Amino acid sequence: MIELLSFPFMQRALLAAVFVGLVAPVIGTFMVQRKLALLGDGIGHVALTGVALGFLTSTSPIIAALIVAALGAVVLELVRERTRTSGDVALALLFYGGLAGGVLLIGLAPGASNATLTSFLFGSVSTVTEQDVYVMGGLAVLVLGVIGYFGRELFVLCQDEEVARTHGLPVRLLSLIIAVTAALTVVISMRVVGVLLVSALMVVPVAAAQQLTRSFRVTIALAMGIGVAAALGGLSTAAYADVSPGAAIVLLAIAVFIAAVLLGRALRLRRGAPRIEHDGPAPGTIPHTETGSVST
Amino acid sequence: MSAETLSQARPAPPPQPPAVRVRDAVVSYDRRPVVRGVSLDIGAGEVVAVLGPNGSGKSTLLRAILGLVPLTAGTVDLHGTPLRRFTEWARIGYVPQRLSAGGGVPATVREVVASGQVARRRRLSLPTTEDRAAVTEALETVGLLHRSRDSVHELSGGQQQRVLIARALAGRPDTFLMDEPLAGVDAASQQTLADTIAALSGRGATVVLVLHELGPLEPLIGRAVVLSEGTVGHDGAPPRPFGDCARDGHEHIHPHADAAGGASALPTIEVPRRD
Repeated sequence: MIELLSFPFMQRALLAAVFVGLVAPVIGTFMVQRKLALLGDGIGHVALTGVALGFLTSTSPIIAALIVAALGAVVLELVRERTRTSGDVALALLFYGGLAGGVLLIGLAPGASNATLTSFLFGSVSTVTEQDVYVMGGLAVLVLGVIGYFGRELFVLCQDEEVARTHGLPVRLLSLIIAVTAALTVVISMRVVGVLLVSALMVVPVAAAQQLTRSFRVTIALAMGIGVAAALGGLSTAAYADVSPGAAIVLLAIAVFIAAVLLGRALRLRRGAPRIEHDGPAPGTIPHTETGSVST
Repeated sequence: MSAETLSQARPAPPPQPPAVRVRDAVVSYDRRPVVRGVSLDIGAGEVVAVLGPNGSGKSTLLRAILGLVPLTAGTVDLHGTPLRRFTEWARIGYVPQRLSAGGGVPATVREVVASGQVARRRRLSLPTTEDRAAVTEALETVGLLHRSRDSVHELSGGQQQRVLIARALAGRPDTFLMDEPLAGVDAASQQTLADTIAALSGRGATVVLVLHELGPLEPLIGRAVVLSEGTVGHDGAPPRPFGDCARDGHEHIHPHADAAGGASALPTIEVPRRD
C-alpha cells in the first residue's frame, strides 16, 4: 500500500475513489427511499452520450457528460412526474437512446475507439488526470453541500411526497435536486467504476447499511463508510491482483452487503424475538365480551 | 398521559375566517366525479367528523382540501386564503392514512416525528431547545417516548399511526386534518388518540377527521358531515345509531377473515378502501 502511494497516478486514483465512496451512497440513500434506486443507471446511460460529445467536439468528456447527464436527469424527472403509467416506455427511450447515441458518436470522434468507450463503461481509474481529480472533488463538495442544505426537506419528500406537499415544500424543485445531484454523482463516479456500475455504488452500500441500522442519519453515515471502504479496498485489490478496479469495488461492496445481511440477522436473533410489540393483549387473550367495543 | 400539557393552538381571537371553506367542490378521477358539489365551512376551533361509507368521497374531499388532488370545479380556502395562494402551511397538520414505507430505509420514530417541524424550521438551522421539547412532548402525548430510538418499521400498525399523529403535533399546527386515524388501530391506540384530540380541541385547535365510524371519538364530535355518493347528505349533530351495520350502503370489509388461526379472536377492525 505504502509503495503504491508513491505513484502519482495511484494517489489520484485513491482520491477519486474516496470521492465516489463518500458521495454515491449519500444521494443513493435518498434515491432508495424514494424508490428510484435504478435512476442512476439510466442517467449513466445518458451520460455516455455526453462523454462521446466531449470527444467529438474535442472538449472535456467529463464536462460534456456533466451537462448532458444533468439535462437528461431533468427530462427524466419531468417525464416521471407527467406520465405515471406510460413513464416506463419514455424512460426506456431515453436510456437506450443515450447509450446508442454514445456508441454512435464515439465512433465518429477522431482518436477515440472502442477502448475509450470501455474505459467509460467500466471505469478507468488509473487514467484519472489531475484536472479530473479537481473536477470530481469540486462536484463531490457541491453534491454534499446541496444535500446538506436541503437534507431535512429531502427526508420529508422521500418519506411521503403528499405530506411534503401539505408542509408547503417545493416538491418539484426538491425532486429535480435529487435527479440533478444523482447526475452529478454519476459523472463523479464514471471514471472510477464506469457508467454501467455507477448505480451499484449508489445502492449497494445503502442496502448493506440498512441491514444494521434503525436511523436514517446513521444509515447515511454507515453507507458512506461502506462506500469508502469498498472503493479503497477494491482499488488496492485491483492494483495487486491486476483486475478491473470498478468491478473489484462493486464486488467488494456486494460482499459487504452479504456480510451485513448475515450480521443483521444474527443481531436480531440475539436481541430476541422481532421487536414488533402489540399495544393490546396478544391475539386470543382479549375477553370476547369486549370485542365489540373496538369496531363500533 | 400528558395530553394535558399540550401547548399548541393559541385560542383564536374572533372575528376569524373559517379554517376550511369549501364551495361547490367537484373532484373527478378519470372523468368520474367522486366529490360532486360539496360546500362546507369549518370554523376555527371546531372538531368535525367527515363520515360516510366506502366510496362516498370523504377521503377525496380531505385530499382536495389539502390540494393533493385537483379540483375539477369549485374553490377551497384555508384560513381565508384561496388554496393556490395559501402559504401558512406550518398551521396545517396532515395525518395521512398510513405510514408510507417508501424504499425501506430505516428512520427512527424521533426522526420521523421531528420531520413534522420542517415547515417552521429554517434550512441549515439546528433544532432549538424549544423544537426538541416539542418533539419530546409530541412523543409523550402519543405514548411512544420509550420507542423514540426504534425504527418506525419495527412498530405495530397502531403505533405507526400514533407516530403520524405525533409528527403532526410536533409542528405545532392549529389545524389538523386526519385521514382515517382509527383505521387498523388497536383499542389502546384509539383511546390515546381520543385523549389527544380532546386536548387539542381544548386548546382551540381545529380538527377535521375523516372517519368510517366514530368509535371512541364519539364524545368529542359536535358536528358530523356525512357524505353520500359525493354529496353532503347530513351536516349537524352526529347521527346517533351510527355504526349500525344494517345501514344502507354500509360495507364492511373484515381483514384476514379467512386467515388461519387466532384471527377469530381479534377484534373486527375495519379497513376501509381509500376512496
